[in-house]
Formats: sequence, C-alpha cells, structure tokens
Amino acid sequence: MLHPQSPWPSERPEQLAEALHEQGATLDELAELLPAVQRLSQWQAPQPSLIDTQRLLARLAPELPALSPVRQAIRAQQQRHGASLYWLLTTARAQISLFGPAFWLVSALVTLLGAVAVLSGTLPNEELLLRASGPFLAYLGTIIAFRGAAVRALECELACLPSPVQLALARLVIVLGYDVGLGLALSLALWAGGASQVLALTLSWLMPLLLVAGLALLLSLRLSIQAAASVAYGSWLAVLAIDTTSTLQALPLTQLSDMLLGGIGLALLAIVLLRIQPGMHRLLPRA
Amino acid sequence: MSAVLAGDQAALAALVTRHHAFLFGYLYRLVGGDHPLAEDLVQETFLRILRQRTRPSDSPFKPWFYKIATNLARDHFKSAAVRQRACKGNEEEALLQMSDRTSGPEERALIAERGSEVRMALAQLSEDYRVVVVLRFYQEFSLQEIAETLQIPLGTVKSRLSVGVHRLRAVLAPIQEGMD
Repeated sequence: MLHPQSPWPSERPEQLAEALHEQGATLDELAELLPAVQRLSQWQAPQPSLIDTQRLLARLAPELPALSPVRQAIRAQQQRHGASLYWLLTTARAQISLFGPAFWLVSALVTLLGAVAVLSGTLPNEELLLRASGPFLAYLGTIIAFRGAAVRALECELACLPSPVQLALARLVIVLGYDVGLGLALSLALWAGGASQVLALTLSWLMPLLLVAGLALLLSLRLSIQAAASVAYGSWLAVLAIDTTSTLQALPLTQLSDMLLGGIGLALLAIVLLRIQPGMHRLLPRA
Repeated sequence: MSAVLAGDQAALAALVTRHHAFLFGYLYRLVGGDHPLAEDLVQETFLRILRQRTRPSDSPFKPWFYKIATNLARDHFKSAAVRQRACKGNEEEALLQMSDRTSGPEERALIAERGSEVRMALAQLSEDYRVVVVLRFYQEFSLQEIAETLQIPLGTVKSRLSVGVHRLRAVLAPIQEGMD
C-alpha cells in the first residue's frame, strides 16, 4: 500500500531558527545547529491511509462507553430541543412537584397578610413588616427547595441527568419567580389600595428577600441547609431589630440601600451557582 | 472529548480523523520507524483514553493525549525484548516506506539513505531527548505544551532540547561533511 508522506511541519529556516532561539540557543549556536535541525525533514513518516483510519475506528467503536436506553433517550431529546432556556424551564417544571401545596399557600398567605397590614394603616412602620416578612419567603423556599441532603435524596439527585448547577438554577427560577410574582401582586394590591410609595414598599419587601436567599445558599455550601437558612434569616432579623430598637443605625435603610442589598443578594446567588458543583461532595452522607 | 466519553460515535470518528495522522507520525518517529509497532501504539493510545472514561478537566487535551501516548511508548521501551531488538530494527521496511513517493530509483535511494541517517541519529539519542526533539520539531509543540505533556519544568524542557539538538548535530555533521 502506498502511503502519502506527512509534510515537514517547519519548512522555513526562520521558523526553525526562532524555535532554537526560544529554547535558549545563542546566535553562534543557531548557525551551528540550524543545518542539523533542517535535516530532520529528510525523515518523513508515512501518513495513515483512509483505510487505516477506518480500521482503527472499527477497532475502537466497540470500546465506546454504552449509554443506557433511558439516558440515550434523554440525551436525544435534549439535543432535539437544544436551547438551554427550554431545558431550564423543562427542568424547573419537573421540579415544581418538589415544593408541595404548603409552600405555595404559606408564601401567598404571608404576602397577603403583609398587604393587608400595610393597607389597614394601623402599623407605625409598614416597611419594617415588609422587610421582615419578605425574607421569610426566601427562608421557606430555600429550606424546601434544597432539602435533598436532609432527606437523604441528594445521591439520587446527583445521579440524574441535570447537573447540581442546573437543578439549583431550576429551583431558584421556581422560588424567585414565584416570590417576584407575589411581589408584583403585592405592588398591584398596594397601588389599588391607594398606598403611597408603592415602589419603596415593594423594594423593601423584595430586595431583602434576594439578600437572604443569596446568603442562605452561600452558607449552605458550608452548613446544612436548615442551619444556613436560619442563620441568614436570623441575621437579617437581628439587623432589623438593632436598626429599629436602638439609636445605633446598623443599616441605613433607604431605597438605594434596598437596591444595594438586592444586588448583593444576586451576586451571592451567582457565586453559589459557580461554587455549588465543586462543593457538592460536602453534602453527601459520610460513610 | 466529553462527547466521545459519553459514547458518541460521530465524535469518536471526528477525534480519530483529526489526530490519527499526527499521533502516528509522533509514535512512528519515537519508535525508530517501526510501522506496525507505531500502529499498535496508536490504537492502544485511543483505547486507553476510551477506557479511562474521564479526562482531567483542568488540563488541555493535547498534552494529556500525548502524555498517554508517550507513556505507552516508554512502557514499550522498558521491555527487555525491545532492548534486544532495538539494534536490529527493520531498516529495510522503513527505507521502502520512506521512498514510496519519489520518482527515480536513484533519487529514491538517496532520499532513503538521508532519511535513514536522520532516523539513526534520532535513535542514538536517549529516550528523554528524543521525545522532546520529536515533539518540538516534528509535532510543533510549544515549550509549555512539552512541559505539560511530560510533566517536567520548562527549564528542563529547554535543557533537554538543547542537549538533544547538540547531540543530533554531533552525529549528523560528520555524515554531512562526508557527503559534501
């Protein structure tokens, strides 16, 4: 069989000279060594023919890892649909059953109570109530969405096709999507009820919620999810308590600071999504 | 590569088509022009990466791939049988393969003779020097890629290349002078 020969990769002397220079050859050495290196081109290796490559492929094909029919079907469907947004929404839809009716009802009830309390006008500090109740939804959502480790289901979750990051993202879409939806409903209710400063009230509800959600998930990389959510929400309540009961202003709570808190919360969520995969082994039960 | 490790046939075909010739050229030169042995090592390299099932995510593909190939060739060099065979070689076959594309018999003989000299000169280098010279000048690896492939410091790569090229020159220069 005739084998076409592979071309000499560095035909130009200046390329070879540069390569020799890079490896530390001096100018005098270059003149000495260049002819010897150029002579390397005289020994060409035969190139494998198409038949050789096909023969090699035929030998390798049986060694390819075999996927289970279920996994192949999932992969095929994933490739068919392609778009990652679609995949995320599909995963999120599959995760909705994880939450149960209690989560939806309690969250809606807390929001409703907040709206009623604000609209009744009986509270001296409406914003304080919203700042305390909004993050409670984050606390609740975090505990329910990420309780896999506590109920010994984490190994099963890790064995599924979606990665831990995709699962976390899908659950955050559900929790935060629902909470933001409730926030919008709260805004509408306040606006319809004739409350003043609707935007400020909504921000004071929504932004601390993001902060507590981000902080709870960040802490969950080190602590159990219950402990992390409790520490995050407890810390936030402590800050609020100090802020209102003492003359010491722990946190100057304004619209701008609310936005800042929300931004910090989103940044923490982004950090968690980046760190969740390498830190996942910590959550697995120890033998 | 992740698609190959997930069992994708098309990805395997693309991987093999892309790297077969380069890897063969590398191993062919590393084992002194032993065509069947180079083919075996190529096949074994691909089998090894398929059987590993995973690839370290923190290292680039090329150095990892060539590291496996180099280690397989080294394992081969270590076997006692090879040491005995190394001196004999199958020079005639290599010469025939190298002269395939040339036209006249005289020209073929001349090129084969020159190729043979280079092959013998490379064969005289110890394995450490031969590997870096082949990676650098035939495979066009950067110094950093060689360091990653062989898992040695950059300074060691440079010193091995320097020694290797000087030794090549020492072997090839008298032959060249004789021909002139």
